[in-house]
Amino acid sequence: MICMTETKTIRLWDLPVRLFHWITVLLVAGLWVTHVTDHMGLHIKLGLAMLFLVTFRILWGVLGSETARFASFVRGPAAIRAYLASGRKADGSPVVGHNPLGALSVIGLIGILAVQVGLGLFASDTDGIYYGPLNQYVSYDRAELLTHLHEFGFNLILLLVAVHLGAITYYAVKKKDRLIPPMVTGKKTYAEPVEQPRGAPLWRLAIALLLAGILTYWVGNGGHFIAPPKVTADAGY
Amino acid sequence: MRKFSMIVGALALGAAVAVQAAAPADVVEARHKEYKEMGKAMKETAGSFKSGAPDAALIKANAAIIASKADKIPGWFPVGTGPGVGTKNEAKAEIWTDKAGFAKAAADFSSAAKGFKAAADTGDMAAAGKALGALGGTCKGCHEKFKTKD
Repeated sequence: MICMTETKTIRLWDLPVRLFHWITVLLVAGLWVTHVTDHMGLHIKLGLAMLFLVTFRILWGVLGSETARFASFVRGPAAIRAYLASGRKADGSPVVGHNPLGALSVIGLIGILAVQVGLGLFASDTDGIYYGPLNQYVSYDRAELLTHLHEFGFNLILLLVAVHLGAITYYAVKKKDRLIPPMVTGKKTYAEPVEQPRGAPLWRLAIALLLAGILTYWVGNGGHFIAPPKVTADAGY
Repeated sequence: MRKFSMIVGALALGAAVAVQAAAPADVVEARHKEYKEMGKAMKETAGSFKSGAPDAALIKANAAIIASKADKIPGWFPVGTGPGVGTKNEAKAEIWTDKAGFAKAAADFSSAAKGFKAAADTGDMAAAGKALGALGGTCKGCHEKFKTKD
């Protein structure tokens, strides 16, 4: 049964999903390097960029195209079991977009990035030289705890990235399913006709970008929409 | 009388030796605590400035804490408390190999700390803010050369 809307090659990942993915790759690497080389001023700026990205991705998971939406790919244990057994959906049709098992990885990665960036907003070094933009709202001791968690959190990111890369390799080698090209081009060709996932109109993209931008602006301003008068002539030491 | 003063002298000497002989690990821990207290004072000060309505009394109190410790820094690094001694030791070997550099960094910090305290004491928050920036620069300058990363 082939419907009119079904075709073998589809637009799988929309441009915002792909840009989010690859900019995140660069940012995580950049955040790592700036920490290791002790360029904490830049680390904090990149952290704000990460805040914007991860906030956008969460909003896009509600507002975005079909394959971007959490509701379209987050599934329960039954769907995961069916996928593990057949590599397909419970009804036997091919999975288009994140599969039910991979969904856990997506949620895990986006979740840990959100937690990590949230911890970083309150973090500080023990000497009180570098501060996350919201550090002034927590005590020194609380900030120290959150900073330790921020440092520990990176290990979880490394772990999930390793799982992510391991899965990509497994799919490429064992299942002959290359996951990277669609994440670059957005297109994927299936062995059988599948339905083209619904896209998202530009106004939804504008809303997601605007909301993420507003939050990032507010955080970057130290929790203000209108920056308080700057008393320190050069607080950015 | 002479005997009494000799006993006092011997006790004083003994006490001095006891202080000098403080276990290196304890010295490391003590200075770590001192630096944390300065870090806390820096954080509270910076937070107050960032609020847009700096609390002059709080800033003055924290400036006094930092200034009261600043002069003591060279004494926190006796020979034998270098890398590998104790836990939480972030001192680099350069503190002892580049003695002049470390002394200068400590002196710069001390003079910036005093400058900040003087500005905070006047209650002129714009001047205090500027002095805080200079102080932060001297913290950072010294840490870059003489402190390992956390």
